[in-house]
Amino acid sequence: MEDASISAGDAVRRDLGARPLWSRLHLPWVAGALFLLLLPWATRNAYHHYILNLILINVILAVGLNIVKGFAGQVTVGHYAMAAIGAYASAVFAAKFGVPFWLALPAATLFTGLVGAIVGIPAFRLEGAYLALATLGLAESVRIAIGVTDYLGAAVGFSDIPPPVFFGRPVVDHIAYYYIVMPLALAGIYFSFCILRSDIGRSFKALREDSLAAAACGINVRKYKLLAFLISALYAGCAGSLQAHMAPGFLHPNSYTITEMVTLLLMVVMGGLGHIWGGVIGAAIVTVIYDLTRDYYQYQMAIFGMVIVLTVMFMPRGIGGLIDDYLAKRRFVAIRRAKANAA
Amino acid sequence: MVAYVVRLCLALALGLAFSLRPGVADAQGTIRVGITLRMLVENGFKYGQMAQDELLAVNAAGGIKGQKIEVVLLDDECKPDKGVANTNRFIHQNKVHLIMGSTCSSVTLPMVDIVTKEEIPLIIPHSTNTTITQKGSAWIFRTSVAERFYAAVHAKYLAENAGKKVAYLFTNDGAGISFVRDYKSYMADTYKVEPLYEGQMQETDLDFRPHLLKIKSLNPDVLAIGGQIDAIARISQQSYEVGIPSKVRRVSASAASNAPVPELAGDAVKGLIFAAAFSCTDERPIAKEFVKMVQEKYKVRCPDHDFSQAYETAQLVKLALSRAKLTLTDASLADDRKAIRDAFATIKDYQGLASGPINFCADPTPQCRDGNRTGILVEYTKGGKDYEMRVLARVGFEADFGLKK
Amino acid sequence: MLLEVTGLSKRFGGLVAVSKLDLSIREGEIRGIIGPNGSGKSTLFNLISGVYQAEPGGRIVFAGEDITGYPSHEIARRGIARTFQLLRIFTQMSVLENLLIGYHPHVRYGSAAATLGSASVWTEERRLKDEMMELLGFIGLTDYAEIPAGELSIGQRRLLALGRAMAMRPKLLMLDEPAAGLSPVNVDKLLSTVLALKQRYGLTVVIIEHILKVVMESCDTVTVLEHGEKIAEGAPAAIKDDHRVIEAYLGKEMGDAEVRAFLKAS
Ligand SMILES: Nc1ncnc2c1ncn2[C@@H]1O[C@H](COP(=O)(O)OP(=O)(O)OP(=O)(O)O)[C@@H](O)[C@H]1O
Ligand SMILES: [Mg+2]
Repeated sequence: MEDASISAGDAVRRDLGARPLWSRLHLPWVAGALFLLLLPWATRNAYHHYILNLILINVILAVGLNIVKGFAGQVTVGHYAMAAIGAYASAVFAAKFGVPFWLALPAATLFTGLVGAIVGIPAFRLEGAYLALATLGLAESVRIAIGVTDYLGAAVGFSDIPPPVFFGRPVVDHIAYYYIVMPLALAGIYFSFCILRSDIGRSFKALREDSLAAAACGINVRKYKLLAFLISALYAGCAGSLQAHMAPGFLHPNSYTITEMVTLLLMVVMGGLGHIWGGVIGAAIVTVIYDLTRDYYQYQMAIFGMVIVLTVMFMPRGIGGLIDDYLAKRRFVAIRRAKANAA
Repeated sequence: MVAYVVRLCLALALGLAFSLRPGVADAQGTIRVGITLRMLVENGFKYGQMAQDELLAVNAAGGIKGQKIEVVLLDDECKPDKGVANTNRFIHQNKVHLIMGSTCSSVTLPMVDIVTKEEIPLIIPHSTNTTITQKGSAWIFRTSVAERFYAAVHAKYLAENAGKKVAYLFTNDGAGISFVRDYKSYMADTYKVEPLYEGQMQETDLDFRPHLLKIKSLNPDVLAIGGQIDAIARISQQSYEVGIPSKVRRVSASAASNAPVPELAGDAVKGLIFAAAFSCTDERPIAKEFVKMVQEKYKVRCPDHDFSQAYETAQLVKLALSRAKLTLTDASLADDRKAIRDAFATIKDYQGLASGPINFCADPTPQCRDGNRTGILVEYTKGGKDYEMRVLARVGFEADFGLKK
Repeated sequence: MLLEVTGLSKRFGGLVAVSKLDLSIREGEIRGIIGPNGSGKSTLFNLISGVYQAEPGGRIVFAGEDITGYPSHEIARRGIARTFQLLRIFTQMSVLENLLIGYHPHVRYGSAAATLGSASVWTEERRLKDEMMELLGFIGLTDYAEIPAGELSIGQRRLLALGRAMAMRPKLLMLDEPAAGLSPVNVDKLLSTVLALKQRYGLTVVIIEHILKVVMESCDTVTVLEHGEKIAEGAPAAIKDDHRVIEAYLGKEMGDAEVRAFLKAS
């Protein structure tokens, strides 16, 4: 331990000094983007494309939830309601006012961000289970309000939401829609990395651990709580808008219940709270498991319950924890090898 | 870092490829049917099972013209996103020839858009929302009785036999809202009568008495109750608590047919009437035989119209399949789907569990696609666990009844 | 005066933790605050740093600005850094990150730039990481930069808490029992670190400490609290002989010679 840690200081200095050019050019991101660009062509089955889109939308949701819950430690159960708000806002802009998707999406995203900031206000005073209850109440009222608002299709559903139009052609095929969802998901992941690795991310983590000490360090706790809610709501709004405009362009409050929220939480917990890649993988895995268990609908809930219990028992830090451990081990080994070479 | 990301992507892709099996039809020469319904609610799981059993039964008898049937049965939990996912799965993964579904109208509505675009026949066993068949889809056939007929069954019968002073009390769900809307518009269109009273509540509300007290003071002929199981039971019960006399006819949305209503409401359910497509107290031989089969095989004391319609839909599917000329190769998928659709359009005067004939035709209009146009009125004669009911009346309609001119 | 406190009081229910306290801290001095357990020392820090709100009537002026009633982070931003008696370091974050949190008030880029990951953010991050590594070298924790703070020993944690406060580049540094629980060798080490930091950055320091050696050796002035009231103030040597102080600490029964022996030993 002592040896390794001595070199750890050197390693940090090394990182700070000369980072290779490719790393500064964000090469990993370019590589990842290229891979994702080609991914849908690996299969001609449109259902796979559809599932890919669902995964990516869930990735956006999970990454957003991770920011408020994983980074900033605010226990919110209202994230799915934010998605509902984004979805319905986008639907209204597009279907009622004729706003094209390309404007409706950012407008709905911003609108949801604003609402999210308002929802964050209870977090000034409430923590833990109390905050969870407050956000749950808000979320449920959003769902119920939609269910009684004729303008939003009430309990029958909001139908005929126009698809995105790209150079005069409606984007209705799942593979085409993928090329709208994927860049947004990628951007969402990228932004969340930027946030996590910047002063904002650190401030989030500080108020998660000890808001009193954070304040003593000059962090405006209220501002950062609001910011966390706002950013995560931006993600939810974007994901909601993507849900709304995905074929067949139909929304219903039944799709935004506490069950969906629990599924979303499962993604983040399984991925490892506060771990971005973990959340991404968690979203993918849960979406796929959910799809696979569709055939065994009688046992679906039981399977999910078991997955949660097993995750908490055997991977308390989720998949992200496993990744971290693996990386830490690799680094440890590399440093030891470097030391041995030097000696 | 690059290596790490690349490896991560590869692992993810492998996982995906492994978990999502290729979407190739398992065997050529089989007819593939996808069924999506709201399962695991009351008897839901059982009627899904029954529809599947009915279809698979032909395999034991050598199939339809030697062609076997394969069924994929999925649950959509009355959630549109699930129904959409199931539909996408049926079409692209299972490559089914036709789809049967769903229970809730809000699930069926988006499904209609998908099957219309992808050109798969969709047979709708349960959904009643009037707008479903007004979308102009050439690929859908409804075997349930559309709401536009239901509402008129009550309205017509009650206007002639009870009176035209109607008080409405309903909860904010799809069934409640469209029930009241349709009833009101029938009364307005036919008799130029406005509602005597109108009260709207939340799905989760428990106390309807403030509304009921006002209704009592207005002395209506009919109390029309829109909503789901719990609301109907509560409103019925509370209507007697506040003292609305039993000579006021209580009539409610079709959810009243579900067994929990008489069990929850007890004696208050006596005299409550509702429109249905089927009643287990139906005295016709074909109905008695069906009820006996369900009682024995699925252990359900009184199969409601969800059962009868699932059953009837399965029979109609078999009939259409027997009329369609199917090649059943990968290449012929689109043609086979079209052939099945066209076969459905040829079904005329089908006499089954429905109280009247079922008629389909080729135009993509509600007149052609709402095949079942006969509703019945069922009246509870006893409440509680051992509830009893009887068929009060059968009311048939013209194909274009209830459509805006 | 850098810090001017007048008429500061704090009540917890019936208990008066701090009572009508006046306190003036000169720029550049090292002030010791001593007093028996429960005499209101930590409460005083909490009042100055905005963790607690003082009772009406109290006033806190820092560098000419009335900061009474300001929220914690505003006070921190004006240059008052503190450590906590129970440290409150961020145990799940790395040692380096702990320092970076302290640096928060001076980070120059905005939220939007950070979210978009603009190049300036990374340049700034690199710069301030460099700076924090230097500070880390100063407190002797360079080798632990990437270790989660929760894995540090108690002595290292105290150093880290000190480092985090220093990262805020304060004008006034308030240390709540920085040497508690340290071995004599480590007490000396910590003390010399504090003195070195003071020299280097031109700080004003307030130290709460029970280890009298620390107070006697390094403080210019010592303030003594008892039951939330100031009972004595003066140079360490004078305080040492103050009768009320000895009484407050040791009770009346002890003889003078015994007390002297005790103080020498501690
Ligand atoms: N949040 C609080 N709620 C109630 N009482 C408190 C609170 N904080 C401090 N007190 C009380 O105020 C009094 C002064 O406490 P304080 O922590 O300031 O003492 P101290 O001088 O720092 O003692 P020590 O040397 O043991 O750290 C104590 O009696 C304590 O119990
Ligand atoms: Mg103290």
